[in-house]
Amino acid sequence: MTWIVWRQQRPVLITLAAGLVVAAAAILLLRAGMVSDLQTRNIVDCVRDGTLQACRGEGPRAFQKSWYDLIHFAQLLVIVVPALVGLFIGAPLFAREFEQGTHVLAFTQSVSRTRWMATKFVVAALPALLFVAVLQLLVRSWVNAAGQLGPLAGGPYYFSTFDAQGVSPIAYTLFAYTLGVFVGALFRRTLVAITLTLGVFVVTRGFLSTWRESTIEPVRVLSNELTDPYAGMGPGQVVKNTGFLDAKGAVVTDVNAAQAKCVPNARIEVSVEDRTACWQQNGLARSFREVLPFEQATTVHLLEASIFAGLAVLFVLGSVWAVRRQA
Amino acid sequence: MNASPVHASNVAKHFGRVRALDDCSFSLPSGSVTGLVGPNGAGKSTLLSLIAGLARPTSGTVSVHGTPVRGQMHPDVSLLTQKRPLYDQFTVREMMRAGAALNDCWSAARAFEVLDLLAGVDKDARVGNLSAGARTQVAIAFALGRLPKVLLLDEPLSDLDPLARDETLRIVMTEVAERGTTVLLSSHLLTDLGDVCDHLLLLDQGRVQVAGEIDEILGDHRVVVGPAEVSLETDGVVVDSSHTARQTTALVRGGSVPSGWDSTHPDLEALVMGYLRAARTRKLARQ
Repeated sequence: MTWIVWRQQRPVLITLAAGLVVAAAAILLLRAGMVSDLQTRNIVDCVRDGTLQACRGEGPRAFQKSWYDLIHFAQLLVIVVPALVGLFIGAPLFAREFEQGTHVLAFTQSVSRTRWMATKFVVAALPALLFVAVLQLLVRSWVNAAGQLGPLAGGPYYFSTFDAQGVSPIAYTLFAYTLGVFVGALFRRTLVAITLTLGVFVVTRGFLSTWRESTIEPVRVLSNELTDPYAGMGPGQVVKNTGFLDAKGAVVTDVNAAQAKCVPNARIEVSVEDRTACWQQNGLARSFREVLPFEQATTVHLLEASIFAGLAVLFVLGSVWAVRRQA
Repeated sequence: MNASPVHASNVAKHFGRVRALDDCSFSLPSGSVTGLVGPNGAGKSTLLSLIAGLARPTSGTVSVHGTPVRGQMHPDVSLLTQKRPLYDQFTVREMMRAGAALNDCWSAARAFEVLDLLAGVDKDARVGNLSAGARTQVAIAFALGRLPKVLLLDEPLSDLDPLARDETLRIVMTEVAERGTTVLLSSHLLTDLGDVCDHLLLLDQGRVQVAGEIDEILGDHRVVVGPAEVSLETDGVVVDSSHTARQTTALVRGGSVPSGWDSTHPDLEALVMGYLRAARTRKLARQ
């Protein structure tokens, strides 16, 4: 039975294998080229810390100009591949059998429908999951090599970094694959299944991507720099809110009223120190900003992945139902 | 419990409001070759898929060798469906390997024996590239590799040229002669059926119209011919009658020969044609 599915999926497996070889070769070569470029420009330290003085010059900027988009593209590849798995491996898995009538061939032999279904489902899924995992690791190693000069400077919540990292690619793949399998088993038409899978996948992913940040409790960072709430902020921070505290540590609700008293009558330049002093006299003791804590990223990954995994389980059950009712 | 190879009792299958089969009861004797005939949409394919366990009857039971069929293929049964589904991208040899993988009981020797019959099928050719005749041969080899005791064939002869049709029937008849397989075969080709079938199952509107041994059935029917102006009075059942300006011809079941009418026993083709015509007349009358 495994052999039959393997044989049926042979074109897909060859495509996956060839794609992986090409992608691995390209990524490893580009990564090597990038690392030697880092050394030539003498900016290896910037990978670790992009805020160093040496990382502000012409060299790092030229480096980013030649490499940043390429790395970003590789991350996008990791984001797109799960959808492709759903469209071209998941959706046709049962839909094509129903379309060509070959499910009757399987249903009129000794193997049970359940075993037929399970074997097809697993044998087609494993190579795709392996592909995604290896691709993710390759891209990850490249992204890490670029460090703070690459997309990582955008922090863990930057969309391409988040989506191409951790459990997310595998969760997205499972979701897309099972969605495709279910829709294919339900509608029995490959083209319909592919179209619906794409639509549902994009909408669900988009919705959960915007929703997931709202699950994080932002942390409040206090600062004595009243006029610039972003002062001293490291790279990659996502600021959700800024504001002021009064001397007792309570949030000032009417900031405009306090600040209005410090606006000069004439058009003169007010120094930062003077303005700060005036604001403090009017009850703005400290400024604060609310940022998403980096260490919450793993939790958000797991939360989002578990939602996708839950949906995948539902789709598997739905597929079992759809195939079993098929005459 | 009826242990006949295939036994149907009060089987019905409804698709929504459409009654594909209604109250069908019949038994196939062991080793018989039964022709399943009826107009398009009479429920022939539905009946075969119920026996194969592809679909479940709405009511009634189908049993194979005394075991009720429940949503799964009975190990003694093989079904060749109308579309002859095979994995097109496989070679013939791979297809046979698939047969072995899909079945608990599989005889590669038997399958290859069938492939080698007649002109023989190229075992390294892709199934999708085979001619209709060769494809049918592969499908039959696939069905016979299961060593079935009951062979269900749905339109095995459609879209075959006369030579391939003849050869396909020869394969089936060889199987019956060698292994005593019970065969139920649906076809529109009445002349071919006459050569191979010894039993008949005639369906119309999802109901069994005629079932039994062909010789008995033919003996029970008469074709009577008489003058057009005389009305036919018979103690049998008039299945179908047609009129020309000068004479009336009727297919009558049972009863005695009406006086003044010429009477002959029909051949299989005339009998089935009579029932098919009657079926169409009934259908038109309802519309």
